[in-house]
Amino acid sequence: MAVFYRRLPRFEYLLPKTLEEVFLALKNQKGSAKVFAGGTDLIPQLKRREIPTPKCVVDLKGISGLDKITYDEGSGLTIGSLTTISALAQSPIVLQHFPSLFQAASSIGSPQVRNRGTFAGNICTAVPSADSAPALLTLEANIKIKGPKKERMVPISKFFTGPRATILKPDEILLEISVPKPMPSSRGVYLKLSPRHSMDLAIVGVAVLGVSENGVCKDVKIALGAVAPTPIRAPMAEAMLKGQRITSDLIDEAARNAITQCSPIDDHRASQEYRCDMVYAMTRRALNQVFAQ
Amino acid sequence: MEEYAVIGKRVPRFDSKEKVMGQGKYAADFTMPGMLWCKVARATLPHARILNIDTSRAERLPGVKAVVTGKDFGGWTWGFMANTRDEPPLAVDKVRYLHEGVAGVAAIDEDIAEEACELIKVDYEELPGVFDPEEAMKEGAPIIHDYRPNNVSVDYHWNFGDVEKAFADSYIVREDRFATGKVIVGFLEPPASLAYYDPTGYITVRAAKQSPYFHYRHLAACFNLPLNRVRVIQPLIGGGFGGTKNDSVAGDFCAVMFSKMTGKPVKFVYTMDEVLTTCRRRHNMFVYNKMGMTKDGLLTAIESRVVANGGAYTAIGPLAMYLAGFATTLPYKLPNFKYDCYRMFTNNPVSAAMRGHGITHTRFACEIHMEMMAEELGIDPVEIRMRNAIDNPKRGEVYRTINDVSLKTCGLKEAIKAAVEDPLWSEKEKRPQKAGPVSFGVGLSGTSYLGGARQLGHQSCGAIVRICEDGSVNLLTGATDCGQGSDTVLTMIVAEELGLKYEDVQLQRVDTAYTPVDPGSYGSRVTALAGQATQKAAQDAKKQLLEAGAKAWNVTPEEISIRNSVVYLKKNPDKKMSFEKLAKIASYEGSGAVILGRGYSGYGIEPLDFMTGRGNGGTGYSFTAQTVGLGVDMETGKIDVTDFTIAHDCGRPLHPISVESQNEGGAVQGLGQAIYEEFVMDKGKTFNDSFLDYKMPRSTDSPDIKVIDIITDDPDGPYGAKEASEGSHVSAPPSVVSAIHDATGIWFKELPVTPEKIVKALKEKGRWMK
Amino acid sequence: MEQIRLKVNGKDYELQVKPSATLLNVIREDLALTGTKEGCGVGECGACTVIMEGKAINACIVLAIEANGKSVTTIEGLADGEKLHPIQEAFVEIGGLQCGFCTPGMILSTKVLLDKNKAPTDQEIRKGLEGNFCRCTGYTKIVESVKVAAQKMRG
Repeated sequence: MAVFYRRLPRFEYLLPKTLEEVFLALKNQKGSAKVFAGGTDLIPQLKRREIPTPKCVVDLKGISGLDKITYDEGSGLTIGSLTTISALAQSPIVLQHFPSLFQAASSIGSPQVRNRGTFAGNICTAVPSADSAPALLTLEANIKIKGPKKERMVPISKFFTGPRATILKPDEILLEISVPKPMPSSRGVYLKLSPRHSMDLAIVGVAVLGVSENGVCKDVKIALGAVAPTPIRAPMAEAMLKGQRITSDLIDEAARNAITQCSPIDDHRASQEYRCDMVYAMTRRALNQVFAQ
Repeated sequence: MEEYAVIGKRVPRFDSKEKVMGQGKYAADFTMPGMLWCKVARATLPHARILNIDTSRAERLPGVKAVVTGKDFGGWTWGFMANTRDEPPLAVDKVRYLHEGVAGVAAIDEDIAEEACELIKVDYEELPGVFDPEEAMKEGAPIIHDYRPNNVSVDYHWNFGDVEKAFADSYIVREDRFATGKVIVGFLEPPASLAYYDPTGYITVRAAKQSPYFHYRHLAACFNLPLNRVRVIQPLIGGGFGGTKNDSVAGDFCAVMFSKMTGKPVKFVYTMDEVLTTCRRRHNMFVYNKMGMTKDGLLTAIESRVVANGGAYTAIGPLAMYLAGFATTLPYKLPNFKYDCYRMFTNNPVSAAMRGHGITHTRFACEIHMEMMAEELGIDPVEIRMRNAIDNPKRGEVYRTINDVSLKTCGLKEAIKAAVEDPLWSEKEKRPQKAGPVSFGVGLSGTSYLGGARQLGHQSCGAIVRICEDGSVNLLTGATDCGQGSDTVLTMIVAEELGLKYEDVQLQRVDTAYTPVDPGSYGSRVTALAGQATQKAAQDAKKQLLEAGAKAWNVTPEEISIRNSVVYLKKNPDKKMSFEKLAKIASYEGSGAVILGRGYSGYGIEPLDFMTGRGNGGTGYSFTAQTVGLGVDMETGKIDVTDFTIAHDCGRPLHPISVESQNEGGAVQGLGQAIYEEFVMDKGKTFNDSFLDYKMPRSTDSPDIKVIDIITDDPDGPYGAKEASEGSHVSAPPSVVSAIHDATGIWFKELPVTPEKIVKALKEKGRWMK
Repeated sequence: MEQIRLKVNGKDYELQVKPSATLLNVIREDLALTGTKEGCGVGECGACTVIMEGKAINACIVLAIEANGKSVTTIEGLADGEKLHPIQEAFVEIGGLQCGFCTPGMILSTKVLLDKNKAPTDQEIRKGLEGNFCRCTGYTKIVESVKVAAQKMRG
């Protein structure tokens, strides 16, 4: 029977005060618990019955100290997992030192959604179009993951394993995102393409981080969202540019090459052909912006 | 030019205060003690025979009070015309669209009702489905309704003049196929109602309906009660725009049925994804248009063959197809016209009315067609329109189109002139054509829409003006404000006629137990028809008051005037009294008199002629010329619409704030249809059933809008008024597509013109990423 | 059922709520404050916007229990008795509404916007209201109302 639900399904609610309590709860629920922070993805999913209803939801917001943005010249930026997208989109530090992250955060949802949703949560949904991912991939961020027994650091390139799938084990949570300071004189952008000017998912998301010296590309990182099962880097396109004199022809070639590294789908939002074409168009645009003289 | 005391003033909307304070009540805001919640359970197949429904597990769930299926409605069906009553409240023998309602549950809370729905088991025999109207026309297509074995829900064949000869004699003839998209009205408030069936056989319902009197007739028929025992009370309505809220939904019938079965009040509220997948939407149509012109660009003939996607039931389809054809002879002079249309049944949710009903599709086709042909002839878009536009008839004269649509005013030429004199058009050459990858364009359209629509059947309306003994005034009207501001206009009319201040008139919203009948809000009829009824009722009340005043002052009623709530002798204004005093004099005469003014609209006598397409579809016609400024990113196809200028002839704006706002909103809703909105469907399933993916314009998508009034003072409308804003909804898509052509050099004939379609077209022409 | 404390429009409440009740359910049903509307129910339209701890949020996707101990302002809390807030006055004067269903959410988002930015540009207003959908007005008179409200609030 098809039912359109106005009410959430029945579940219990836990508000642990410490990480130990979180892990205990996950252990006791034996896989039938869902952790959440902002809830902007989980609650709609539960309402629409898109996922099996967990026995209980575990609210992480009771744990103190996880909502900080810190920055120092040495270690770079640390974003606590409970940091809201708004906090990032309003942070002068992020704007100054990590402009592509700032652009990414500002492009997500609406003010209401950004006030509740967390950047970490956006990564953990692991949707291919997650706006947080491409910029973090170019910045080669590291994800600190904590489980009941240990902590581990995983480079973001290894974090996504498939659409809505990450390497997080059922008893682990994301604790912190560490973003190393990019090379001096580097420029970063995140360009999100969607039909409207607000509220859309990205049809294609492109992040580029690059440094040039005397017209030669010293380093470049290109990341693409919404065009593969996970957000990805485009290493072959990057290799074409590294160490080369930057010309508009070379940028055009590299942008065309980026298409070969993606595998977008046909869906109700866009066709495969359009997404591929937009990888080319938007990568070229992003490269031009980063390497503009 | 008249000088009015209240009409034409920028007074605040009648209901602004309660709305900004959050005090205004909409249907879902009501509760009653002991209330049950109703939920509709829906089919999982688009076309299937229902073999068996097992509701036993649902009935046993604690908290469930009743369960119904289609059979419980005793075979009752409803529809717009006597011979198209093909829709049951819940599916009975078969399901004809995905998620059609098949059962309902009433429970003590909504969670339980939802859970119970899951427990209902239906055995189906799946049937092959047909989802495209042109597929439905083919030999051997699955039959959706036995009474229409060829799946033709509605068809008309009209012929005026001699198109064949006209085409043969034309300098240029073009044939093109145009298509409009699958779009929906997009109100923010989902359908809801709170129903109570009193055991004595009396229904009371508070429902979000922009035509409460249609709903009261449906309920009376469904539950076999006389009309005087059905009470529909209209709360505030969160948007209408035609279609769903002019009609009834499964939840409405289930809620009343449940109340009858349990003796309790019953409430239902739909979800937004339920709305997007099951409620009425606009027809999408294929328009095969053939147009002929002389060498000077004068229209010689139009032949339109229209195929419409009707969905699973007929609903208001007959009117949609009439409206799609009858006004093709507006707003330009057209000597020959042929129209063949087919509304096809398909296994999709039902297509019905939406703002700019019918005309939207063919006007889009004809406007773009005209510009394409003008381009071929080397005539500019303004010139081609000015050469063909109908002239404003002189006072006392009537312009008749070839199919006997008659106009007493037509401000199209003035509107076009005003639109193109505005800097958006007049200074377009001065502005840069390109900036980086963005190519700029400006477009134009000239369109018309009817007001004062009448349909078949009982379409008259009445009003009562009640003068209370203390001088306060009530307007009792059956007219429905679904947000467009009609309450304000009707109140202003009473105030104007009685000579009162606007704030002194209290409007009673529709309550079918007390207010006179009115068909509701559609076809831009409220200001024209309910306005006329209101005007007459106020005049009637005034007559009674002035007679009493005349007696008291020993003069004739004609010698007395009222303005600003002051009653005075025309020839000696120092002889005066307050309106309150006059009301008291009139009311306390002898043992007391009750002052009630009555009026009803005198229109609605000439029936619409669906079979020949001859005659008027409304009492008057608005004319709109719109210009659009936009930029197309030639690499991504993304469009930034920056400016609209809308020059509209609505006769005279009675409440300028509402008229402007309606024009602005109508145009942005039209913009959505032009470039953003479309349901992506396959085999009857909707893939984008949320606001995330059914892309209606947000604040950042919408342009700056300028509205210019063209005053023509139509003699048939109250205070000269004609309709406003269905016109701007019709004018938006062609002017946007015209602007896209200006920016890209490409004509797009299918809506919506998405970024992907633009890139595809540029690629085909070898112009992408050069 | 869980016990929560909630301050709404300056008034303290102690409520018993189901874990699966949303803040919107509790505001509209338990507290009978029906000014906050339910449009889409999944955080996409903004009709349910309320201000919680100074930030605009969609009440339909926040659990009531998450609001435990927090302070919430709904549309009913904006006016001072019968005296309208300048934002409400501006919307009335300019006519920044038609059906009124989006209006409570739109006004509260406006409040948060203007409290932070006393003189927003048109673009900033449109971006600040991007989470609030309106189908009736085409946004033109809403933007105008916000500008007039800003003027009034600047004094």
